[in-house]
Amino acid sequence: MKELRAERGWSQQDLAERLDVSRQSVNAIETGKYDPSLPLAFRIAEVFAMRIEDIFLKG
Amino acid sequence: MTNRLGNPAYRRYGRRMVPLSLLYVGAIMLATRFIPDNAPADARTIGLALLPGLAILGWIWAMGRLLVELEDEYLRMLEVRKFLVATGLTLAVCSVWGLLQVFAPAVPKLPLFFVFPLWALGLFAGVLFNRLTLGGNGGA
Repeated sequence: MKELRAERGWSQQDLAERLDVSRQSVNAIETGKYDPSLPLAFRIAEVFAMRIEDIFLKG
Repeated sequence: MTNRLGNPAYRRYGRRMVPLSLLYVGAIMLATRFIPDNAPADARTIGLALLPGLAILGWIWAMGRLLVELEDEYLRMLEVRKFLVATGLTLAVCSVWGLLQVFAPAVPKLPLFFVFPLWALGLFAGVLFNRLTLGGNGGA
């Protein structure tokens, strides 16, 4: 997710605002410390205009 | 949502906790002022003694509402983890101390009044636990 965000030139704060979550949430997801819920994963996929399985890896 | 202050759920939490805390302090001052040490356990004494309890019930309600109203799932998880650490520590201290009181009566009695402050201290341990395991500010 970090790479996708960087490709778009967004800061963590930018992405957080697009997802309507805190910057800490974005940071925790990017660093692998937190797995988003399915609804949040869908929002992330929508923001990047991609499929969930193309953003998140299994396991 | 930019930070804790910018989060509406935390703002509402603060707006609820401040007046409840003022009520608590005022009620404690009232009870201290008007209940003498040798007061009989009559309706007036019990009523004054229970007044601070209303504020404590309010704190618990406000904390419950925070969990319900926090829409950011990661921040909500941090809060839940803090509550769990605080609850675990409180159960551990009270249970072990209770056993000591039963089997070693010379041990000082732990007044029930201290259970909630003990739990509140446990929240700080929860923040430390979050920081150590997840980094960031731990939900402080």
